[in-house]
Amino acid sequence: MVGLKRAHYRETRLPMLLLLPQLLVLLLFFFIPAVRALSQAFVITDAFGTSVQFVWFDNFHRLFLSPEYRSAAWITLWFTLVQNILTIVVAGALAFATDRVIRLRGLYRSIVLLPYAIAPVIAGILWAFLFNPSVGPVAHVLKAVGIAWDPNRSGFDAFLLVTLAASWKHICYDYIFLVAALLAVPPSLLEAAAVDGAGPWLRFRRIALPMIGPTVFFLVTMNFVYGFFETFAIIDAVTHGGPGGATMILVYKVYLDGFVHIDLGSSAAQSVLLMIFAIGLTLLQFRYADRRINYDV
Amino acid sequence: MGVFKRYLVAGALALAAVGLAGQASAQQRVEVQFWHAMGGVLGERVAEIVKRFNASQSKYTVVETNKGNYDEVINGVIAAYRAKKHPQLVQIYERGFMTMLLSGAIVPVQDLLTEKKKAIDWADLVKPVASYYQYKGKLMSMPFNSSTPILWFNKEHFEKAGFSGPADTWQEFEQQLYTIRTKGISECGSALANDYFWSLIENYSIINDQPFGTKANGYDGLDTEFVYNKTKVVGQVTRLKKWVDDGVMQIAGQGLNPEQLFTSGKCSTFFASTAAHGSVEREAKIKWSATFMPHEQGIAAHNSTIGGATIWTLKGHKSEEYDGVAEFLSFVASPDLQVWWHKVTGYVPITNKAYQVAKAEGYYKDNPTREIAILQLNRGTQTENTRGFHFGNFTQTTFALREELESVFAKKKTPQQALDDSVRRGNDILRQFEKLNAGKY
Amino acid sequence: MVERARTLDIACHALLILGGLLVCLPIYFAFVVGSHTVSDVLTIPPPWLPGRHFFDNTVTAWQKGNLGRLFLNSLIVAVGITVGKIAVSLLSAFAIAYFRFPWRMTAFWLIFASLMLPVEVRILPTYEAVANVALPLQWLLDALDVGRWFGVEITLDWNMMNSYGGLILPLIASATATFLFRQFFLTVPDELCEAARIDGASPMRFFWSVLLPLSRANMVALGIILFLYGWNQYLWPLLFTTDKSMATAVIGLKNLIPQSDSEPAWNIAMNAALLVMLPPVIVVMALQRWLVKGLVDSGK
Repeated sequence: MVGLKRAHYRETRLPMLLLLPQLLVLLLFFFIPAVRALSQAFVITDAFGTSVQFVWFDNFHRLFLSPEYRSAAWITLWFTLVQNILTIVVAGALAFATDRVIRLRGLYRSIVLLPYAIAPVIAGILWAFLFNPSVGPVAHVLKAVGIAWDPNRSGFDAFLLVTLAASWKHICYDYIFLVAALLAVPPSLLEAAAVDGAGPWLRFRRIALPMIGPTVFFLVTMNFVYGFFETFAIIDAVTHGGPGGATMILVYKVYLDGFVHIDLGSSAAQSVLLMIFAIGLTLLQFRYADRRINYDV
Repeated sequence: MGVFKRYLVAGALALAAVGLAGQASAQQRVEVQFWHAMGGVLGERVAEIVKRFNASQSKYTVVETNKGNYDEVINGVIAAYRAKKHPQLVQIYERGFMTMLLSGAIVPVQDLLTEKKKAIDWADLVKPVASYYQYKGKLMSMPFNSSTPILWFNKEHFEKAGFSGPADTWQEFEQQLYTIRTKGISECGSALANDYFWSLIENYSIINDQPFGTKANGYDGLDTEFVYNKTKVVGQVTRLKKWVDDGVMQIAGQGLNPEQLFTSGKCSTFFASTAAHGSVEREAKIKWSATFMPHEQGIAAHNSTIGGATIWTLKGHKSEEYDGVAEFLSFVASPDLQVWWHKVTGYVPITNKAYQVAKAEGYYKDNPTREIAILQLNRGTQTENTRGFHFGNFTQTTFALREELESVFAKKKTPQQALDDSVRRGNDILRQFEKLNAGKY
Repeated sequence: MVERARTLDIACHALLILGGLLVCLPIYFAFVVGSHTVSDVLTIPPPWLPGRHFFDNTVTAWQKGNLGRLFLNSLIVAVGITVGKIAVSLLSAFAIAYFRFPWRMTAFWLIFASLMLPVEVRILPTYEAVANVALPLQWLLDALDVGRWFGVEITLDWNMMNSYGGLILPLIASATATFLFRQFFLTVPDELCEAARIDGASPMRFFWSVLLPLSRANMVALGIILFLYGWNQYLWPLLFTTDKSMATAVIGLKNLIPQSDSEPAWNIAMNAALLVMLPPVIVVMALQRWLVKGLVDSGK
């Protein structure tokens, strides 16, 4: 049996009891709500829940026809993509540098790690302030050098702002994993390569990079998960999806349509689409996790 | 299993406790819950009304709770209704009218007060207020805080530019703003308020007798469609965009209060609710005044429309609680209270009687700008374009409008494109509402 | 390192210093702004150096945001989630790794499947679930028409809105933590279990006196991550607390951010931001090594 200790107990009641709390929570707050979301996606209902109509795939149909939904999907894609690349490249550079330096390594690591403690919403607030056109120091510098900057008016500026904030918050996560992965590269291999005359860059590309490949793959998936779901707080605190829908990511739209506009059918349909996407991401993640589990056991 | 069981028991005990508490107070005074959206100073005023009411009689206790802003209150009450934990009374903004009306969750206020034999002169209500909240000739909810936008201006700026005050028409007013700017009198001509879609778009449409939607703005049927992409509203949006592009109008943005741009003397004018009287009087470091909203050249100015909120009565409570509701609502509608409320908040009095009382006291001689709103609301003859708006899911359609207007200011869309998109989105939302409520209106 | 390459080393230091500055810049300015008065904040150019009103602002922020109460809430919620998650996952992992019983793989897959349902995609129905936890039971009763047997209408109602239970309980299921402990249990030598059995210890006894002490390191490492996770929760408390005194510090902070129709009190907001991030920052700084271990292990 997979993942079972060789020395194990044969009992039925006890393990069921042990699993009960977890399964109960999952049932009440995960599975039943998920099924409910699924069923709500096929009806329309008024805010007070007094009339309900079954509409088949109408909610989905409306979504696919809606330019606003398509635009939100594109924005989400760009947002997660830019955020992903920015995060992993910066984290990679910092991790590579950390791996090379000897002095002050601990200090550098502590500082880069700092944003891990900071909630996404706080990261959003910090950056919103820096770039606030009327009071922000960075916005002031931008204005001084002649760059017109106004995230309240320009969609591009707002998009840039939330992307920067989201990446700033997440670099530390990728960094931790990359530092750990680089540490795990056997020094003997590197030394042998150095003796053969390979420079630092060549050694990194030929030896370290392939060895940290799985970690990078894992991080890219995790960055997508982060960008898709956990950046909700940044959007909610900084832009509310605006201006003109320029930062309307899919998760925020689910919330807005469901909780603010009380268009439950549409919101549920959006949830279902997101769920399908989340399942895809998880399976991708699991492929990686699966391999790691096999190595470890 | 143990854990779950214990929680169930705890839950049951808690419920029992709640039930007992309810009974205990029922023996003394009947409690009426009132949820509202008034924070800050306005919240204190509401608390005062409730305090006065509770002291005025011994049978009922009204409990007021601030449940956040208007959006939060309507969402809160919807969630509470679904969980069967809703209050008897709730303050809902004008945009929620159709949602509330067709919710199947409300008791029409005129029916209730008639049934409870409260003598209220329904015909005495200020017309645009009454017409907004009426359905089939009957008032559905009790008008509470009603406002309308007026034009606030900096007297000194206008005098320096050689004007006695803002002009009546948009065309002349625009020239004034550009003159003020070219003469370098102020940094910006006008500050864009956050509810500009209400003051500068919706009210513009009403004042200039433009149809916002078909079927008399939704009064004559759920199959109404927005048409403001084919009216003078397009020109208005073009004008606003030009102002913003030329720096004549300033968008305050996050963390900056547009009203402060005006009260600090940075911007010369400000289109905002008459309810801003309280804060402008307190904050202004300038010599200010206010006047009527401008109108288009060649169009006679009609009445403006209201904003603000009314108090709705919700279904599903005990008869004696509704006695308390009726008592409280007639207290709110009484002229004395209305006059006081009008004075301390800047909202318009909801009855003509209250207005006459204030006038007879000479209140408007000392405070001429306080009279603008009610005069403006009563201006001209009502047409089917100026009664108000009866659109379903109006918050949602307004959100679409705002989002599209933001695209205009961001130079992503032309005014025509944006309004076309906004109308398309709005109509889609209206059709949903129609489908869901077919035959109810 | 293998050889010395001075330019590369200097470049690395420069890069790290730059990175460090980028990390610190927003925090530094939060400190600067948090120590000025509103009017100083609004001056042009904005202040670049700290002012003298930091503690005044702290007092204002603390009172205005009701932060005393909210910090307590956050602490209870964060600790509750941490302890709950660890306890629930330990038990599940023990069951899955050490017992052979029917439905074992089903349970494993059910827990795994929860990974695919982040709260963000089931916002609305979860809201209903929290508003009345007994709802599923009610459906069951309705479906079986139990009420008619007794001639009464049975309404079950268990509202967890605005309660610590509602903020904690739904969040204590965790596939990641379960897998982490399971992973660890698989590395524990089989001899320990066999020895315990020979000594006549029951499974739970073995769990308590052998497995739990062995897992201490993992528990601490995971505990840090979960504490941060709990403290920094946003969407959940946003939805499930309508009573302002039951909100968490992070939500309280959000309400202090100047919106377009309020006073531009950025000094108060930024001061509060520093306060709210302080507990997790202390945790991260003090327990850095554990945090790194926990993260890397749970990523496996």
